[in-house]
Amino acid sequence: MAVMKARHREQFGSRKMRKLRAGGEVPAIIYGHGDEPEPITVSEHDVALAILHGERLLELKLGRKSQHALIKEIQWDTFGQEVLHMDLARVRLDERVEVAVPVTLHGTPVGVSEDGGTLQQYAAEVNIECLVTAIPDDVSVTVNDMGVGDTLHAGDLDLPEGAKLLDDAETAICSVTYIAEEEPAAEEVEGAEAAVEPEVIGEQAEEPAGEGEGTADETSGESG
Amino acid sequence: MALMPKRVKHRKQQRGNAKGNATRGQTVSFGDFGLQTTQMGWITARQLEAGRVSATHYLHREGRVYIRVFPDKPASSTPLETRMGKGKGETKDWVAVVKPGTVLFEIGGTDEETARSALRLIAHKMPVRCRMVGRRPAI
Repeated sequence: MAVMKARHREQFGSRKMRKLRAGGEVPAIIYGHGDEPEPITVSEHDVALAILHGERLLELKLGRKSQHALIKEIQWDTFGQEVLHMDLARVRLDERVEVAVPVTLHGTPVGVSEDGGTLQQYAAEVNIECLVTAIPDDVSVTVNDMGVGDTLHAGDLDLPEGAKLLDDAETAICSVTYIAEEEPAAEEVEGAEAAVEPEVIGEQAEEPAGEGEGTADETSGESG
Repeated sequence: MALMPKRVKHRKQQRGNAKGNATRGQTVSFGDFGLQTTQMGWITARQLEAGRVSATHYLHREGRVYIRVFPDKPASSTPLETRMGKGKGETKDWVAVVKPGTVLFEIGGTDEETARSALRLIAHKMPVRCRMVGRRPAI
């Protein structure tokens, strides 16, 4: 659990938030447990460290009081380099919470190493319910035994003790499949493709008369 | 096979201008690593196809390549050795308009080193500067 100093925030609006971020602070809001939402600011450095270490539960020191908060959402800039805003939810340490946890695949499936298949991961994370103090960093699965055509479902995952899966148990996590070969004759078809034009929706009604296309060709010929 | 729409409402479009950064399609969503543009530009269907072919050839069925943009804008041009005027030129290419931050390609099912090499090959085919990105932390 990361300890983070926070300050009450009385500034709002994009221009003031931009100045705040330029000063090394990150705007955030803390809400939940029936109390009023409270706008706060936290240090950008502390936030970066918490994200780097995969911390989800924070101990916020807000003035004289200390409270526990769960990171609910992080807003990033376009390039994913700067944290713009954080949503924090008040929690008790004996509370159960719903969180998304990444799924990590370990090993090389038999279908890949021996049969030439490809391992495809469909779901990068699963939603689980667990104690706020026991949120796992990830859910690890060993996929060594998977052959071609095998699919791993969310129900097959070994969740930590006390955790409950919230997603559908039939949700596909990964599978080993063959990827179709590239068609070698792609170059020959290219010339034919250039002539193909998409159908124009408005001109569909004119086609049966056979005049619409003819006039279009003539005008294009003149302009060329 | 070059990408293009099946049906369009209008045969030609005005060029338009793309201001600002991407506000959607800027995260890695399907694969493990992605190629993110840092410039605005028009990417033609041929360039996308060239990137896809080079990556799939390099990966050799090891991973999967996802194309995150679709060339749905007709780019017209006047033919060579033609006098100016006489109306708008014919559609020459189908392009995808991308803003800084747009993820163009994604690669999944392979290790980082291989994905980086494959994305580097794709980046050489693109008319815009690109950088490799990974998934954002799952919080």
